[in-house]
Amino acid sequence: MNLSISELNLDEVLRYMGCPPDQADERLRTLARQACGQILREARPRWAWRCFDVTAEPEGVRLSCGLLLPGQDLKRHLEGCRRAALFCATLGVQTDSFIRRAQSVDMLHGLALDCAADAAVEQVCDQIETELQGQFPGCFFPFRYSPGYGDLPLTLQNDLLDLLDAPRRVGLTASASHILIPRKSVTAILGVADQPIAQSVRSCLSCPAHAGCMYRKSGGHCGIS
Amino acid sequence: MEFRELLNAPGPILLDGGMGTMLQAKGLGIGEAPELAALEHPDWILDIHRAYVEAGTQILCANTFGANREKLARTSKTPDEVIPPSIALAKEAAAGRALVALDIGPIGQLLEPTGLLPFEEAVNLFKEEVRAGVKAGADLVMIETVADLQEARAALLAVKETCDLPVMVTMTYEERGRTFLGCDPASAALTLEGMGADAIGVNCSLGPREMPPLVEELTRWSTLPISIKPNAGLPDPSGSGYDISAQEFAESMAQLTELGVKFYGGCCGTTPEYIALLAKALKGRTIREIPRSVPAAVCSGTRTVPIDRVRVIGERINPTGKKAMKEALKRDNIDYMLGQALEQTEAGADILDVNVGLPEIDEADMMVRVVKAVQGVTDAPLQLDSTRPEVLEPALRIYCGKAIVNSVNGDEETMAAILPLVKKYGASVVGLTLDENGIPKSTQARMDIAHRILDRALSYGIRREDVYIDCLTLTVSAEQEGAAQTLEALRRVHSELGLKTVLGVSNISFGLPARPLVNQNFLTMAMTCGLDLPIINPNVDAMMAAVRSYHLLMNIDTDARDFIAAYGDVQVSTSITAASRPASAAPAAGGTRDLGELVKAGLKGEAGEAARALLETREPLDVVDNVLIPALDQVGADFEAGRVFLPQLIQAAGAAQAAFEVIRARLSGQPGQEAGKGPIVLATVKGDIHDIGKNIVKVLLENYGYTVIDLGRDVPPEAVVQAAQKHQAPLVGLSALMTTTLGSMADTIALLRQEKVPCKVVVGGAVLTPDYAQQIGADFYARDAKESVDVARQVIG
Repeated sequence: MNLSISELNLDEVLRYMGCPPDQADERLRTLARQACGQILREARPRWAWRCFDVTAEPEGVRLSCGLLLPGQDLKRHLEGCRRAALFCATLGVQTDSFIRRAQSVDMLHGLALDCAADAAVEQVCDQIETELQGQFPGCFFPFRYSPGYGDLPLTLQNDLLDLLDAPRRVGLTASASHILIPRKSVTAILGVADQPIAQSVRSCLSCPAHAGCMYRKSGGHCGIS
Repeated sequence: MEFRELLNAPGPILLDGGMGTMLQAKGLGIGEAPELAALEHPDWILDIHRAYVEAGTQILCANTFGANREKLARTSKTPDEVIPPSIALAKEAAAGRALVALDIGPIGQLLEPTGLLPFEEAVNLFKEEVRAGVKAGADLVMIETVADLQEARAALLAVKETCDLPVMVTMTYEERGRTFLGCDPASAALTLEGMGADAIGVNCSLGPREMPPLVEELTRWSTLPISIKPNAGLPDPSGSGYDISAQEFAESMAQLTELGVKFYGGCCGTTPEYIALLAKALKGRTIREIPRSVPAAVCSGTRTVPIDRVRVIGERINPTGKKAMKEALKRDNIDYMLGQALEQTEAGADILDVNVGLPEIDEADMMVRVVKAVQGVTDAPLQLDSTRPEVLEPALRIYCGKAIVNSVNGDEETMAAILPLVKKYGASVVGLTLDENGIPKSTQARMDIAHRILDRALSYGIRREDVYIDCLTLTVSAEQEGAAQTLEALRRVHSELGLKTVLGVSNISFGLPARPLVNQNFLTMAMTCGLDLPIINPNVDAMMAAVRSYHLLMNIDTDARDFIAAYGDVQVSTSITAASRPASAAPAAGGTRDLGELVKAGLKGEAGEAARALLETREPLDVVDNVLIPALDQVGADFEAGRVFLPQLIQAAGAAQAAFEVIRARLSGQPGQEAGKGPIVLATVKGDIHDIGKNIVKVLLENYGYTVIDLGRDVPPEAVVQAAQKHQAPLVGLSALMTTTLGSMADTIALLRQEKVPCKVVVGGAVLTPDYAQQIGADFYARDAKESVDVARQVIG
């Protein structure tokens, strides 16, 4: 599937920028709208995926290739799933340098682009999730889960990218400190269950960032209900 | 048979096919390191190599693609343990019928400035591989599947600095003709040939049908033999296969003899069957001889600028006669230089001159930092402006692309020191027509020096096309006969030597009134004498207009496209205004809005104007203390109360900045008044690259009148300590956004304390909590940019 990102959710971008959508004046909306258009032009979304069988073990979940995804939260999350699709997605380095360039000229423009790119990555992941669900007809899926959620460590990034051959296939790497580069990128695990599972939704309360969340601090939310 | 004999023999050279996909077919698991196969399954490797030799392969790639220390880290093996047995197996299988290449693939982490891996660290990782390969008896080195030209440079440099083995470099492109990192074949060709590769080309990513346009680009920009190793067609996202059969592969590949390709092989998904059929398809075909001559050009990692018309070199990143630039250099204000870079490219500069020579700073260190930073935000090629080899070499090392070195002159000692660097790093060079005796008066004497520089450059192996001559502009108010001599020398270098020419234009009018008029006319005269590379201020539209007009009138700007694009909707006024008349009329009384209100509303342009108007009647510091700061405070209080939000806060800061700039310009006439409060050192800690929060903090602090020393992102603890000491900063601000980099924050604070740096430390970042801040010894925790300002006020006032 070729990814194609279309119009971004302006309210979401405004929220990421730290402004409740109903408080944004026309000037700010225009700025955010322009940033969305620029990101849509600059971004070169690419993705890769691979399916593994999964088994629960005391320390976490083991993929059929042998890699252990440590921690209890993902294990709970994948309860009832026999398989999992591992995927990664990136907007490419051009997006990074475009944002960096804007930041050194106009900080607000830089912020708007940064947030528009975040919204774009989310949209890309949604598309991938839909595509992957289509690959497993008749199956059931919990929401996608990424390193950094719950107790699933970020140190896994390098191994996950290796499994996907991501540097070669989509140009996505992780630094020595496990930061994904290009920056506007995601790795995620989508559980695949053969039987219906307890419906889990991404919720504000179960979010790993709940405690320090800047949206919550300002009385709003990031868009997840 | 040696590589060079093979190369000189007519006919195609056959390489091998995929290794990773072959190993997987043998039973290598997903996620297992293929490089360990030499130790764990030597029989698999022998089988695969032998099958390729049987198929006709003349150069085998040893199974060392990912055998660098970083990638091997998770296997607890080292390059020295993996590479020798891998080479030995390839040699055993070759049995004298094929050469064996040390195969070098990417490290797996992105290099600066895109990623975090320092250039020299990459060079050292590659050197380790090369040393092991040389010791094990590899016949050549093949650098493959590289997407980042900077990484290809690091690997090539590692080979060149370690051994004399031949080296091939191939990169991997996407369908639109660029690598994942945006590198195009032209920039790769110019850069890699300049740095001494023996062959260049394409491997992986695409199938054979996608090769012709890439090959054509490479042959246009390089005279080197071309190597092509595509995949078995295009891959699908699930990684399960490729879409071209062995027969189709062989047929498409054989067509490439028409384009002059010398090396033929396959990458992912290709097997000995593909190579055997390819050998058959190539049998009896001769490689078409295509005469190649590469025109003069320079490039960055992602953009090539051919010198096929007048190309403007922007002169603004240079402290000479520029007070603000001097200040920026002294305060490590790299952002200022980035602003200058972007402003100039926006105005139409094709190339940017970078000169950071100032007696009180470490020029080499600053040069490296500025080159890295500028290459991070613009794709314009750079001209490295220094005559000191100790400044030029580190800058040339980390510059990605083909740079211009500005400059050498006719002095033998200077040439002996700098020309070898130009050759090693594949740069172009500017030769000034002066020598140890100064600037000669006569045109002939300048021509003689130009000759001498060209001869020396050629003797070092530098291409004739890469030597640019600067005939030197003399100030016409001091030596009026000088301008005509310069133009005559320029004309002769252009027509008699056929070399490209450079000229700094602005000096011509020094000491005269109406300088723009003199500059513009001199530029036009110089262009008609054959000037290719004027060094000018592109922000002065009269200068860009002269260049655009020249292109229009000389029929270079076909159909006047560029000219109309630039001037289609403007009105040009040529009237000259007396200098005593004020530049802009004072605003009508009562017509200006209150400056404080404008700041609160975040209206940049209007705020600057209002500040100018206010300064007619009030003192600068009075405006700052009683108008600007209270307005910012109001916005800050509204932000805290949730009445305005981050975007409005930044907008207000931007408007205040515009007003501050007007005030600063007024203050700069008054000594002792311009220094801001602080300074405050800001850094995103080592390992972290999320710097948007830190940048917002910086904007806000600056608009409260603090001087900010911004060290950027991924800053090691030592650099923070050094900056805090050097600038005697009372406050250091650290930011980290990832749980994985909080450790670096703790390390940085620990080092500040250990070195007894008398500063307070404020920390911030999404994953940080007040508790953790306290635990790692920070003095303050700032929840957001506004709180950082509160902390600064508490510490500094």
